[in-house]
Amino acid sequence: MLEKEKVQSLYETMLKIRLFEARVSKCFAKGQVQGFVHLCIGQEATAAGVCANLNQGDYISSTHRGHGHIISKGADIKTMMAELFGKESGYCHGKGGSMHISDTSIGILGANGIVGGGFNLAAGAALACQMKKSGNIVVCFFGDGSSNEGSWHEAMNISSVWKLPILFVCENNLYGISSRVDRSMAVKNVADRAVAYGMKSTVAYGNDVTVVYETAKEAVEYVRSGNGPMLVEYKTYRQHGHFEGEPDVYRSPEEIREWLDQDPIKNCEALIKEKDILTGEERSMLQEKIESEINEAVRFAEESQFPPAALAVKDVYTDIVEEGRVDR
Amino acid sequence: MANIITMPKLGLTMKDGVAAKWLKSEGEAVKAGETILEITTDKLTNELEADQDGILRKILVPEGEKVPCQTPLCIIADADEDISGCLADIEE
Repeated sequence: MLEKEKVQSLYETMLKIRLFEARVSKCFAKGQVQGFVHLCIGQEATAAGVCANLNQGDYISSTHRGHGHIISKGADIKTMMAELFGKESGYCHGKGGSMHISDTSIGILGANGIVGGGFNLAAGAALACQMKKSGNIVVCFFGDGSSNEGSWHEAMNISSVWKLPILFVCENNLYGISSRVDRSMAVKNVADRAVAYGMKSTVAYGNDVTVVYETAKEAVEYVRSGNGPMLVEYKTYRQHGHFEGEPDVYRSPEEIREWLDQDPIKNCEALIKEKDILTGEERSMLQEKIESEINEAVRFAEESQFPPAALAVKDVYTDIVEEGRVDR
Repeated sequence: MANIITMPKLGLTMKDGVAAKWLKSEGEAVKAGETILEITTDKLTNELEADQDGILRKILVPEGEKVPCQTPLCIIADADEDISGCLADIEE
């Protein structure tokens, strides 16, 4: 059993993600969000539970459904919201949107618009950690669908051969866009595939934040101790469509209902009540506090300016003067 | 609280949508999360859910009509609430 303060802090992170995503959903419907958004409502426990085991110097690579990971790693929600609104004050000065939010100062290597695009970035960062002997590790978040991409197998292989300090975290939400996992994968678990790379793996329930935290703690310790990479697969479910506005006709109402009943926030609230961790009043105060932070973030995003047209291509292209090319 | 529900933007390229079928009629009670309208676009058919409990007080776009995103579709309010403020907002 986790100590009360830990449960409370995990709950707070999950609630922040949920309320942020719920607001983004509304802002998207109102036409305020400038690009596509894929919301992680229903998958808050994996992001919060895993990232609670990381230090500021550790890295994460994220996915197209990345807001939860990014919030859990400590990103500023005002700057995130401004980016979603396409404003100059956003993480990418309004030119990247939801799928490019990154903050290397706190180890966020970036959300990624390319499915499977994060694997080799994560492996590269892990190689850097290893060569610098920094003691930091990399968590590579990915979905079930992307484990069918070649880049996943390449990164799994080289990470294992080189014993890189990287934890692969699969959020298996049972669907790659509209394809159920069993239509695109012949094994039962993504974790089963780790055997082929000689990598340790485990499967756990992803909608109980205490289970996620405990399994991730063990896995992070294993990776940080220099044992090489590991894979943890969490079974979870997204409650919204693949993208905002998607009709979601490929999942049965029974299945959706079944997973709504296992909502990670409701699960955590049941524990909070049972163990008397927060009173009802403390819980509503916490919710109000987060709501007001989000109101502030929306106000900041609304009041910020769009980037000027003259800067349209700034930060978009590079002069290619990175290390190794300079002298040629 | 009286609220105006507008045509949502569903997906990146949606500019307008058709109020294809009202599943509730004026004066009927609705619950938060209940589908009140089917919306069709060039690409898809989607359901509009009420975001609050209340009464569907006024339908502003008849079935079959195509309107741009953010056009007011209906007003949801309590049974005896004054919605003249909402109607005035729409007039503007």
